[in-house]
Amino acid sequence: MFAVGHAGCVGNSGSALIMLHAEGIKVRYGEIEAIHGVDLNVGEREVVALIGANGAGKSTTLNALCGLLPTVAGKISFLGTDVTGWAPDKISRNGMALTPEGRRVFGQLTVAENLMLGGAAHAGRAERVRRQEELLELFPVLRSRMTQKAGNMSGGEQQMLAIGRSLMSRPKLLLLDEPSLGLAPQMVDKVFDLIVALRKAGLSILLVEQNVGLALEIADRASVLRGGSIALSGSAEELASSDLVRQAYLGVH
Amino acid sequence: MLLQHVVNAISLGGIYALLALGLAIVFSIVGLINFAHGELMTIAGYTTLGALLFGVPFPAAVLLAIATTAVAAMAMERIAFRPMRGASVTSLLLTSFAVSALLKVIFQNGLSARPQPLAMPQWMTGSYQVGNVAIGVGPTISIVISVVALVGLELFLRRTVTGTAMRAAAEDFPVVRLMGIAAGRVIATAFALSGVLAGIAALLWVAQRASVDPLMGAVPVVKAFIATVVGGLGSLPGAVVGGLLLGAIEIGLDAVLPPSVVPYRDAFVLSGVILILLFRPQGVIPAATVRRG
Repeated sequence: MFAVGHAGCVGNSGSALIMLHAEGIKVRYGEIEAIHGVDLNVGEREVVALIGANGAGKSTTLNALCGLLPTVAGKISFLGTDVTGWAPDKISRNGMALTPEGRRVFGQLTVAENLMLGGAAHAGRAERVRRQEELLELFPVLRSRMTQKAGNMSGGEQQMLAIGRSLMSRPKLLLLDEPSLGLAPQMVDKVFDLIVALRKAGLSILLVEQNVGLALEIADRASVLRGGSIALSGSAEELASSDLVRQAYLGVH
Repeated sequence: MLLQHVVNAISLGGIYALLALGLAIVFSIVGLINFAHGELMTIAGYTTLGALLFGVPFPAAVLLAIATTAVAAMAMERIAFRPMRGASVTSLLLTSFAVSALLKVIFQNGLSARPQPLAMPQWMTGSYQVGNVAIGVGPTISIVISVVALVGLELFLRRTVTGTAMRAAAEDFPVVRLMGIAAGRVIATAFALSGVLAGIAALLWVAQRASVDPLMGAVPVVKAFIATVVGGLGSLPGAVVGGLLLGAIEIGLDAVLPPSVVPYRDAFVLSGVILILLFRPQGVIPAATVRRG
C-alpha cells in the first residue's frame, strides 16, 4: 500500500488535527471577484468535498490554495505555516499537491517521464524509483505504458497518471479537481475506488467533484460553493440529506 | 562542385539551426522572441578577441567565450526579462529590442565601431581533397561542431531531470511548478542553453568572416528568426529543419542565380519563406505546445 507522509499538525478541529486552514480568501480575475471570502478546513486523514455548480468558484478555490492564483484577501495556513502568497512550487515542496482539472499530463512526454517529474523536486533518483514501484502496484494499468507518450492514452489512464504524478511527491494533502470529469462510467468507479484506497492509507484529500452523489459517499465533510461563497458546510451525511443539496445537486425533489 | 555546395549549405544551415534553436528554446518556455540573441553572438566574438589579445590559448579562449555568453544570457534574463514576467508577447518583444539596441550602442561606444580582425588558427582555413573536389576545412569543422551541439542538446533534454522539466514546461509551465519545480531554475537553464548555442554559433560565424564588429549579430538573428518561423515557432525540431532549409536555399540561390541578380538573393529567399508559410502557416514542424489558461 502506498505510504503517506505524516504531518506535524497544529490546531484542533473536533477530533482531526487541522492541516489546511483557509480563511476569507478572495480571488479576482481583473475587475471580477470570482470568490468572495471562502473559509475551508481540512483535517488530518480527512476527505473534504467541495461541491457546487459550474462557475461557482471550485477550481478557483483549489488553484488559490496551491498558489497558482494570487489571493487578494484572506489567509491560507498549511501545517501551521502561513503559506499565503507562496509560489506554487514552494507550496508543493511543503507537501500540498494538486491534480488539476482536465488532468494536464505532459502529453509529449512518456508516462515514466511524467511520473519522474512528479517526484523530481521531492526525492533523489533512488527514492523516486522506489516510489514509482509502489505507485505501479496501485496503478497496474500504467506499468505496460511506461515508455508510451502520455498524450496517446485514454482519458481514464491519463487521470490515473495525473493522480500518480501528484503522489510521487508524497503529499500530505492532495487536492483533486474534477477527477471523474469526462470519464467513462467504469473508469469513474476506478477513480473513486482509488480515492477510497488513498483515504484508507491515511492521505488527506480535498475533492472538487461534479458527481455530488459519489463525492458525498466518500467524503467525511463537505462544503457547497455557490456564486463564489460557501453556502453550506457540514458532515457529508448532513449535506446529503439537506434540502439544498438534494434539490440543487442530487436532482431529488 | 555539387559536393562543395552541399557542404557549404549544411555548414551555413547548421549555424542558423543553432541560433534558431536558441531562440526556440527560450520562446517555448517563456513566450519571448529574444532579438538580443544576436548581441549574445557579439559578446562571444569580443570575448574570444579579448582573450586571444591577452594571450589566452585558442581552445581556452573558445571555452571562455561560450561560458561568458551563457552567463550573459542568464544575466539578460535576470535584469531585463524577469521583471517583465507575465507581460504580453508584444511587451516582451519590445523589451528584447531595447536590450539589443542598448548593447549595440555600448559595443559601438565602449569598444569600437569598426570591425576588429579575428583570425582563426591556420589549420582551420585550409581545404582538403575528396576525389578531385576541394572541401574547406572550416565548413567541415562547422558541420561537425553543429552536429555535436545538436546531439548534446538532445541528450540534455532527454536524459536529465532539468531537460525533461524544460520539455514539460514548453507544454504546460504552471503544471511543472505544481510539481514543486522552481520556475526560475527552468527559465535560467533555458537562457543558459540559448547562450551556449549562441556562443558556438558566433564562433562558427566569426570563423568564416575573420572579424568581429558591434553589429555582427544583427543579420544572423534575423535569419534565425526566419528559420524558427519557417520551422514552426517554438518547435525545436522545427528550428533545426528551418535553419538547414534556410541555409540550403541561400547557398542554392547563390549557385543558381546569374551574377547580376545575386544582390537580390534575400528577396528570393523571403519570397520562398512566404510561399512555405502560405501552405504551412504553423511552420514545417509545428510546436506541440498546448497553452492553457
